[in-house]
Amino acid sequence: MAMSETLSYLRRGRGVRRHSWRYTVMAWLPLIVLLIAWELTTRSGLVTPFMLPPLSAVFGRIMEDAASGDLLTTIGTTLWRALMGFGISAVAGIALGILISQYKAVRWFFDPIISVGFPMPKIAFLPIMILWLGLFDVSKITMIAFNAIFPVVTATIAGIEGVEKQIIWSAQNLGAGRKRLMWDVLLPAALPQILTGLQVALPIALIVGILTEMAMGGYGVGATMQTASRMADSPGVFAGIIEIAIVGYVLVQAMAFIRRRLLMWHPEALDATAA
Amino acid sequence: MQAQINSQVSSQIVVENLNHMYRPARGQPVLAVDNVSLEVRPREFLALLGPSGCGKSTLLYLMGGFLPVEKGRILIGGKPVTGPGPDRGVVFQHFALFPWKTVRANVLYGLERAGLPKNERLKRAQAYIDMVGLQGFEDSYPSQLSGGMRQRTAIARTLAIDPDILLMDEPFGALDAQTRSLMQSELLAIWRRSPKTVIFVTHDVQEACYLAERVAVMSARPGRIKAIVETKFDRSDPHLFKQPAFIDKVDEIWALVRNEAMLAQRLEAH
Repeated sequence: MAMSETLSYLRRGRGVRRHSWRYTVMAWLPLIVLLIAWELTTRSGLVTPFMLPPLSAVFGRIMEDAASGDLLTTIGTTLWRALMGFGISAVAGIALGILISQYKAVRWFFDPIISVGFPMPKIAFLPIMILWLGLFDVSKITMIAFNAIFPVVTATIAGIEGVEKQIIWSAQNLGAGRKRLMWDVLLPAALPQILTGLQVALPIALIVGILTEMAMGGYGVGATMQTASRMADSPGVFAGIIEIAIVGYVLVQAMAFIRRRLLMWHPEALDATAA
Repeated sequence: MQAQINSQVSSQIVVENLNHMYRPARGQPVLAVDNVSLEVRPREFLALLGPSGCGKSTLLYLMGGFLPVEKGRILIGGKPVTGPGPDRGVVFQHFALFPWKTVRANVLYGLERAGLPKNERLKRAQAYIDMVGLQGFEDSYPSQLSGGMRQRTAIARTLAIDPDILLMDEPFGALDAQTRSLMQSELLAIWRRSPKTVIFVTHDVQEACYLAERVAVMSARPGRIKAIVETKFDRSDPHLFKQPAFIDKVDEIWALVRNEAMLAQRLEAH
């Protein structure tokens, strides 16, 4: 559970390795130092509490919100939207990736759309989304899915097209038809790359979720931060930042855990058990 | 008697005036197989020998049905090849195992597709795993195995579906010398136990001489059959490699291949 894992979680390098507690402390140390420096700076009187509230005050706020139950509702709302959007982008993205990889007509249609759409800042669609779908969950979740689907589609296509030709041939040789080939061979072989696409999409879902909440309100961490900001409540804003950071970290770790579980056969996982 | 004749005929391969253009994504199409005609007798062990890039693997893939036959024809048991099928088992140089499946699951895959009942499948898979000497590794993933063990798995997977014809594409090319010579004698032992028509692609003259009953020597690109040499020896003789007759045969085939290999190198340098 070291930090270095977070930094390298997209790399297909090492999987889990049992680290010593000393390694764990070392890995977290920079973050701890940063937090201590934060607290000391605020106490030194160099900055006003409005510019930077003390870390202890921010944690105090989080605790208060937790006690009143607000924290659970806020984070729960954001998570629900982000994960709904992510789920839709995962299912639709993999399905679309399969269709594009298999049918020339589908590829012809979607190729330019993806080429233009992937790098485009899709958040620019926000006013249109509000106009079409309103201010509530539907438009937020649609926006999240719309942003998160691109890495899933491209990873699925790349994964399926990258499957070694001779693996496909040997499956056909052993009697696999077209459908069997997709389910038994192409998808499992592409799974490492599809999971990488999902691992890219997940933080995007969270980011866009917070952004839409900031722009449209309606509870959630983003909306709460925006309200706090309007009321010049800086501990409230910083509390939101820390909450998002923790939620994001937990989500990314959960995803990495799922990856290790699904890729038990992969050298990246087997390496670790052998060590 | 009737059944035996049928199965003999079904393992016969006839290649007639076969041409194949290799069309790379970029650049000019290249003639890879040039007017090849070849007849392989049922239960025969034939080696396709030639320098790298001579189209011998392409010829094998055409027989396997992985590439479309555009000019000429290939008949298997009298019927033209239209696609891949379990009547022709294929073993690839780089194993082409399913890395997400264990050894057992790899061997089971073809049996599942054939629709065998579960008990029968498991029994048969185990028999072939035992045959290639992988007992104890049934639940290992390919990435946990050595190259030799991976190729044994691939051979077990192919033999399990009991094909009439075995198409082998430099199956021992990726293995170290010791493992290769071990696998060669094991392949012969398996072939002796259940004779199949084997087409064995290789660029190793000694390997071709040792394993095959006939060696078809191919020319450098475009691939043609340059000569077909009979190579019948007593393969159970442990000193076969030292027998003058064997050494002469290797030399004879070497002489045929040497020019082609040099030509192939020049082609590759372009």
